[in-house]
Amino acid sequence: MIILGIETSCDETAAAIVRDDRSILSNLVNSQLDEHRPYGGVVPEIAARSHLDHIDGLVDRALRDANMEFDDLDGVAATGGPGLIGGVLVGMMTAKAIALVHTLPLMAVNHLEGHALTARLTDAVEFPYLLLLVSGGHCQLLSVTGPGAYVRYGTTLDDAVGEAFDKTAKLLGLPYPGGPAVEQAARSGNPNRFDFPRPMRGRPGCDFSFSGLKTAVARTFRAATQDENVVADAAASFQTAAGEALVDRTRNAIERFRAENPNGDTLVVAGGVAANAHLRTVLGNLATDEEFRFVAPPPALCTDNAAMIAWAGIERLRLGLTDTLDFAPRPRWPLNELRVAS
Amino acid sequence: MNVLGIDSATEACSAAIWRDNAVITHRFETMRRGHAEVLMCLVKDVTQRATLTFRDIDLIVTTVGPGGFTGLRIGLASARALALAGRIPIIGVTTLEAIAQAQSPAGKPFLIALDSKRADIYVQLFDDAKRPLCEPGAMLPSDIEPILPSGPVAIGGNASMAILDAISDRAPALERLIGPTLPDAAIIAAIGAARYSKNPNLTAPPKPLYLRSPDAHLPTVQIQ
Repeated sequence: MIILGIETSCDETAAAIVRDDRSILSNLVNSQLDEHRPYGGVVPEIAARSHLDHIDGLVDRALRDANMEFDDLDGVAATGGPGLIGGVLVGMMTAKAIALVHTLPLMAVNHLEGHALTARLTDAVEFPYLLLLVSGGHCQLLSVTGPGAYVRYGTTLDDAVGEAFDKTAKLLGLPYPGGPAVEQAARSGNPNRFDFPRPMRGRPGCDFSFSGLKTAVARTFRAATQDENVVADAAASFQTAAGEALVDRTRNAIERFRAENPNGDTLVVAGGVAANAHLRTVLGNLATDEEFRFVAPPPALCTDNAAMIAWAGIERLRLGLTDTLDFAPRPRWPLNELRVAS
Repeated sequence: MNVLGIDSATEACSAAIWRDNAVITHRFETMRRGHAEVLMCLVKDVTQRATLTFRDIDLIVTTVGPGGFTGLRIGLASARALALAGRIPIIGVTTLEAIAQAQSPAGKPFLIALDSKRADIYVQLFDDAKRPLCEPGAMLPSDIEPILPSGPVAIGGNASMAILDAISDRAPALERLIGPTLPDAAIIAAIGAARYSKNPNLTAPPKPLYLRSPDAHLPTVQIQ
């Protein structure tokens, strides 16, 4: 089974071809970073225009990279949401057109499910597993028992962790995009110089909160001596605090997951923030302490890509979960509202 | 030659198959939203009812705008992907020329005006033989009078009333056209077919005509 995947829900235009034996035959990402950088964030209309300009050419290249024709495909998968609707529409219409011309099954993939199932593409992780999904727009702990089968243990009550990284980067005067910039700055910083709060630590449950941490960074940074290390030290102190908050909430989730899934023993971290090396390390250490297997896909498959969309398409097509040409893209689409195989 | 026309750039969705100077199959639905759900189903329907597969389609014609940003992207992304998937030549026409082509101007030059959902209006002037007299533009109704030719002028499109309301006291020779006010895939296919027969050497796929830059503002103050 060979599936074309299309991803256009934020600021990366992506096309990939993946086979059901878990091989990625091509995987192309056209980043729009340079187009959005002057604005300090993703501008939806600029993103939508750029997706339209690039997606057909990118699909063509993905086929050529894989040395394939449309006839070799067994299905087309595209992100159907959640995300910036202007971009989602462009990718979805592209997929519908290809499906119509070549009479192929169409899979409208939930972008979050793409992230959630990536570990099965990269590491053949078996169900069930515990998932920490961390990105610019999401911060959730979920148990995953099958494609479309998610139980949410906790989510952020305010900002997503990626949002906290982005806002911290802005506060510290670091360049866009903020996540990688904070990580880079933190490498030479002293994580103990500032004692930032570890939001929600010690409380029961698996919810997150990051707005207080961000506010504390702002207040402390403004009051701090502006020496040559202040930015690096603030970045490192912030990253450590965010990491400890994630670890604390994930520990609670492991406890619940273990009780509900006696045969489950894997912690998967996915989403753009999972590309952060420090967070991978502290979460990996937590998994070791808890005698859990730890799986974090390679960073290039944590950030937005189309290979994960193609893979989620494979998983759904195996179960006969296809969509029709009248599928309506969904700007909001929580994972727990996915259709489940009956 | 089988030509597939499609449009979703304004408050309608349409698809048509055109062959030998005649409309073979045609669907046209007015709608404010839902273009993404409907458009590909219309394409499938007109193609199937014409008993064609995509191997039989020789040319795809799509509108490129101006119109709603989202709607024109839905149509253009669909058309470009259909062309890529079927390795079919593709040509773009503007919404304004598609509406102009559908009019009977009766010997007068005419203006086509399309609602942009904002204060300004998408406009283009045509002569009595439906040839463009200027490039498509976006203008406030009150600024339109100076660009009009002297003498009787007709006006069409779904923003014609807005313009008449704004300037009819200053430009009394304006007469409203009674032809279609929205683009239609049947006309679009016909325009594209004629253009393609004159020049079949197509290069890059058609690009969107937004007539307006994205609403994005550079940050003026550095947040510290």
